Amino acid sequence: MPPKQVKGEYIETDTGNKVSRKSNILGSQNIILGGKTIIQADCTIRGDLRRSGAPGQHGNVAIAVGRYCFFARSSVLRPPGKVSRGAFSFYPMKLGDHVFIGEGAVVEAAMVGSFVHIGAGAVIGKFAIIKDCVRIEEGTVVAPNTVIPPFSRVAGRPGVVVEELPETAQDSLELKGIYRMI
Amino acid sequence: MNAPLFPSILISCPCSDNVGQQRSRRSKTAAADPDLDQWEEEGETFDPRSPRSAFSLFPLENLLFCEDCNQVRCPRCVQDEIACYFCPSCLFEVPSSTVKSEGNRCTRNCFSCPICFAALAVTATGEDQTGPFILLCAHCLWSTSDIGITFEKPTSITAQLTAKLKAASLPPSNSLAPPESSHSRPLSPLSQGSSVYNFRPNSPIPPPAPTDEAEFARLKGYYHQQNTIASSDDFGGAGSLSRLMGMYSTGRRIGSYGTGNMPKLVKQKQEWQEIESYRVMDSEDEVIEKMKKAGFYGATSQSQRIIQSHQPRLLEDVRPLAALLRTKRAKRCRSCRHILVKPEQKVGSIRYRIRLVAGLDHNAVNYFSLQPLATHQFLLTVTNPLYDVINITLATPEKTPGKYPATVYILCPEFEVGASTDVWDEALGPEAKPKAKAAKGRKTGLAGTIWDSGRNWTSVILEIVPPHLPDDVELEEDDFIVKVPILVRSVYESDVDKDDGIGKDIKEKKEHSYWSVLEVGRIGKKVAGKVGFDDSASAGTGVAVNKALPPTPSGEPREREHRDREHRSSSRSHRESAGAAR
Repeated sequence: MPPKQVKGEYIETDTGNKVSRKSNILGSQNIILGGKTIIQADCTIRGDLRRSGAPGQHGNVAIAVGRYCFFARSSVLRPPGKVSRGAFSFYPMKLGDHVFIGEGAVVEAAMVGSFVHIGAGAVIGKFAIIKDCVRIEEGTVVAPNTVIPPFSRVAGRPGVVVEELPETAQDSLELKGIYRMI
Repeated sequence: MNAPLFPSILISCPCSDNVGQQRSRRSKTAAADPDLDQWEEEGETFDPRSPRSAFSLFPLENLLFCEDCNQVRCPRCVQDEIACYFCPSCLFEVPSSTVKSEGNRCTRNCFSCPICFAALAVTATGEDQTGPFILLCAHCLWSTSDIGITFEKPTSITAQLTAKLKAASLPPSNSLAPPESSHSRPLSPLSQGSSVYNFRPNSPIPPPAPTDEAEFARLKGYYHQQNTIASSDDFGGAGSLSRLMGMYSTGRRIGSYGTGNMPKLVKQKQEWQEIESYRVMDSEDEVIEKMKKAGFYGATSQSQRIIQSHQPRLLEDVRPLAALLRTKRAKRCRSCRHILVKPEQKVGSIRYRIRLVAGLDHNAVNYFSLQPLATHQFLLTVTNPLYDVINITLATPEKTPGKYPATVYILCPEFEVGASTDVWDEALGPEAKPKAKAAKGRKTGLAGTIWDSGRNWTSVILEIVPPHLPDDVELEEDDFIVKVPILVRSVYESDVDKDDGIGKDIKEKKEHSYWSVLEVGRIGKKVAGKVGFDDSASAGTGVAVNKALPPTPSGEPREREHRDREHRSSSRSHRESAGAAR
């Protein structure tokens, strides 16, 4: 757990998001934060990598984040991109509620569900889909296009499901406590 | 569930009797002890080092609680019932009839890499997303083209793959050999009338042995046919199966006695063949030669080999692995058959219709290296998820079991934990009940008083004096860990559920007790001259826990203070998570 920060380290928004002044957020107009999300120092969030062309039905959103998320120091959130019909394009990235992203983790997933813990130094490949109640251990490398079902513990390089989580996983993965601490 | 971090709490499930309570040799030798009778009456303390204890200790999150039996249920004493099957890759639900007929693997396009076990993706190799298609691993870049397989269309990969593998496994000269061809194979050496038991083929050129898959397919087809024959003159179902089994067993007996009518024997012919046929193993020289040629990097590793059904030796023989299905399971108590957990049918849903999880939650401070012969104080926080006030009694042996016992002392073994009521109560906390808090004498660290308490949690101090480990004796890793068995007894009154409305205010007293094991930490090396007994004794009466911690060479005092504060706030946050248990 990170120690309590010096006052003034975070900018607090109306919905209770706490964004570090030292974080590196690009294209903030394309990022939606659900509220009560904490973004620590040196985090990089690439909201500028949005779908090319005119805004479609989903608007300009590049990264949508739910409530009570926690992005630890120097983690990177980057919308995935691929060549489709001859043109390279980025795709939006969606994160659910209570998503913990550990220190130095790189996330390029297409979708991350709720109650997901991504350990420090983990790498989530492009277009990976992580469902609810998943714990990804430290240093795991999840291959691109992987789908991780609910209630899984993922470890290794490449990340494979090593264990099923118990029914109480949702309680242990909740992040309301961390929000109160900061 | 998680990596073992200190301190950790494990709770013992009493489902297997006497686990960890086997009389140790030490207590046997102490037979002259005058209070032995009492010792026996009370039952012995739980020994966390007993070899069998490992099977009865579980982390709290893996335990369920049966309200009818009023007992903790561990994964071993619950019964699983499969609610649904689903593919972990495409998350499609698979009906159980399909599982029975097609097997427990996904029949869509879900495959994993035979080399690194990551997911394979269907990728177009032609221009403009056109075929031929391959299955490509995005992690190690293995693809089906490495084993010479490409697909014409990006859908129904499973069907295409089986067709291709079938075509590849059968040599063109022997392709689609009719099942009758097996009749031409020699049966047993006995049936040939040869007097010599020769398990090597007599002919210089042995007949090509069918592959395992072909053999399996042949047998499967044959028994399927038999089953349909049997069920055609029956009404099908279980009766036909038992009839079939009976037919085989009687037929065999008749055959062995050399009696019986002809048509029956004809019917048995195929079975006879299966029973008495043998297979000549291929000479391994060829495989060894191939492996020599392929070298280390061309051969499969053990994990790569055993995961494949045909167990290939060479990387060129591996096949993409179809995704194994996963299940969602409901859980029942084994003794009273009540449902403890029932998940929602939907695959993606994480909700539960019924969920009874064991709720008592302990919490303790961070890990640090324990100094031998110094007093260490820990905060033991008990959180109450119930809506009733509980009375907790903690009991622990003075000396922990094991070769090198540590001395344990709980300053306040009996205390009360408030009910898990509305969150607002704590928000209004200090103003709402200032009297109660003042009366408790907070944070004095004196014996018989609690350390701190909140709405539904109470912290008490646990003092531990780790033993001094001898330097000259070879120690096992387990000897370094201080494991404290604690008997937790909770008594609470809860409303009796009655629908008739008569016994409305009747409260039922419930009592529940269990052994738990607290793994406090690892005993470190004694730092010469730094920690003495006098030093620790004075620290033992210290007011704040962080002051009572002996100085460790690496830890900075300020940092530790911080951690301690953090700990307490995190334990407070636990009321939400633990509250969901009921």
